[in-house]
Amino acid sequence: MNRRKTLMIAAGLGIAALASSAAYAYVQGDAAGQLRASGVVGEQADGYLGLVGSASAAIRAQMDSVNIQRRAAYTQLATQRGATIEEVAAATACQIFASRIGPGQYYRLPDGVWRQRNGNEPVPRPSHCG
Amino acid sequence: MSLCNLTRKDRDASPKGMARIGRKLLFAAALAMLAGCVQVAAPERPIEINLNINIRQEVVVRLQEDARELIQNNPGVF
Repeated sequence: MNRRKTLMIAAGLGIAALASSAAYAYVQGDAAGQLRASGVVGEQADGYLGLVGSASAAIRAQMDSVNIQRRAAYTQLATQRGATIEEVAAATACQIFASRIGPGQYYRLPDGVWRQRNGNEPVPRPSHCG
Repeated sequence: MSLCNLTRKDRDASPKGMARIGRKLLFAAALAMLAGCVQVAAPERPIEINLNINIRQEVVVRLQEDARELIQNNPGVF
């Protein structure tokens, strides 16, 4: 009986380990978050990632890849809602600015200036967000 | 120059007369259009063109819930 319990606990631990490794992989797949955290890529008011300064070819390629995926997602939603791609992108930027930019990460409003989020201070929202 | 100056020749029902009337009608129409163009008044203030925002703000506001879902459904992209 005791041995059986031990086995069950071991199995449970195994499942938990698997789940946590899956969660880790999930975090690893957060390309946009990693790019923001790198400090060389920031969020723009137009709904796309942009280069804050200079970056390696690898970083640029990752950024382009994410932006292409964003554009595809924006295009699909724009078609569904009868809006333009730019409108969907701008609307999504409002949400990104409100919830996705971490402390110390960069953002760019329509004035074209890159700014860094200071600690937990709220990120100003682009004026088009209403 | 108008339809009032049609000569007796113009009023002929012959094809030639018809063509002449047609030409005069065209000319009158062109004159009328020109007169219309002159009457178009320029707006008092220049039209503002903002290159940054060619978007409709009310549409952006309406899309907020969709945008939130878009972000949630595409982890790694946003």
